[in-house]
Amino acid sequence: MPHAIKRLFCIGLLSFTPLIHAAEYLSGPADYIYSPIVEEGEREIDTKFGTQSPRNGDTTRQSGASIGFGYGVNSWWFTEIYGKAIWDGNTSQFDAVEWENKFQLTETGKYPVDIGFLIELERPQNRNEGYEAKYGFLLQSEWKKWQANLNLLMQGHYTGTENQGTYLGYQGQLKYRLQPEFEVGAQIYSWLGQVNSWNTDQQQQSSVGPAIFGKTKLGRKEAIKYNVAYLWGTTAASPRNTIRMQAEYEF
Amino acid sequence: MILINNQSKYMKNHLLSLLFAVPTLFMGTLSYASPTATEIYISIKKGRFSPSEIEIPADTKVKLTIENFDDTPEEFESYDLNREVLINPGSKASFYIGPLSAGNYKFEGEFSPETAQGIVRVK
Repeated sequence: MPHAIKRLFCIGLLSFTPLIHAAEYLSGPADYIYSPIVEEGEREIDTKFGTQSPRNGDTTRQSGASIGFGYGVNSWWFTEIYGKAIWDGNTSQFDAVEWENKFQLTETGKYPVDIGFLIELERPQNRNEGYEAKYGFLLQSEWKKWQANLNLLMQGHYTGTENQGTYLGYQGQLKYRLQPEFEVGAQIYSWLGQVNSWNTDQQQQSSVGPAIFGKTKLGRKEAIKYNVAYLWGTTAASPRNTIRMQAEYEF
Repeated sequence: MILINNQSKYMKNHLLSLLFAVPTLFMGTLSYASPTATEIYISIKKGRFSPSEIEIPADTKVKLTIENFDDTPEEFESYDLNREVLINPGSKASFYIGPLSAGNYKFEGEFSPETAQGIVRVK
C-alpha cells in the first residue's frame, strides 16, 4: 500500500473516534510545541512539567506534569502514551491518560514548509469530561540557522457532560540553532475561543515568552533533549505567567 | 452594532476556514508543484559513507538518497544540516537539504560515528 494511503487510513481511523462532543480549552502548564518531523525508530521517555500563576488574585499556582513513552513507528508516524497529573496548592491528582499520534505528511525539507497532522486523544480521570481530543496541522520551516513552527489546533471534549465545545487555537515557536547544547528562541500558546464563537481579544488566552532548547549526547543513540520557556499572559483571561519545561531521554 | 457583530463573526468564520484550508490546499497542490532538485546518492558499506564528501552549489535544494548495504541500521545525523534520518539494513531513505550558504556541513552515522563520517561542501 503506498505510504500516502496508509497515512490517510491511520488519520481517518483516529479521526472517527472524536465525532461526538464536549471541552476545556486552557493551555495546560505542561503543554509543548509539536513538530511535524518524525524520526523513524526513535524511542523516548518524555517528561514535562509546568506551573502557572493565575491572574485573578489567587496566589495558588496551578501545576501539571506528565511522563510518557514515545516511538517512531516508521518515517511518517510517531506515537506516544502519557500519564498526566495536576496539582493546585496542596491538592494533587492523577489527571488523564493521553495518546498522541503525529503524522508527517511531506518529505523532510522538500517544500518550504514541512507539514504534519496531529491527533491526540485523552481520557480524563474526571469521567464527566468524557474524552478529550486535540487535532490540527503542524507546520515547520527552516532558513539557515532559524527554525519556525506554527501549529493550528482544535480541541474538544466528547461524550461527556462537562466542558462542551470545540476550541480553536494556535501555537508558534521561533528558534535560532546556536549550538546543539544551547539554542534560543521564543514560544507562543494561544486559544482564540470556540470555533463558532471566538472570544473577545481580552477573553482569548495567550501566553508568550522566551525559550531555550538543547540536546546532549550520552552515548551511541542516547541523548537528553530539553526545552524550557517562561511565558507571560498577554490577555486578562490568560495566566499571569507560566514556566514550562520538557526533558526527553532518547534511546 | 448587531451588524458589526455579524460582520465580525462572518470574518472570523472565514479566517477559521482559511487557517485549515491553507495547509490542505498546500498539500493538495504538492504533486503539481513538486520542485526539481538535484539528487545525490550515498551508500553505506561496512559502516562508512561513500562518497564521504559531496559538493553542492550554494542556495540550492538537494535531494540526498542514502542506501544502507550493511546488515545493521544506521542513522544519518547532522546538526549542521538539521537532519536525523534512520536507514534500515538493506534499504534506502531520501530527504532534502538546503538551500544552504557556502561552507562545510558535517554529518555522521550515529551508530558508527568512528567510521561513518562525512561532509557536505557548499560552494
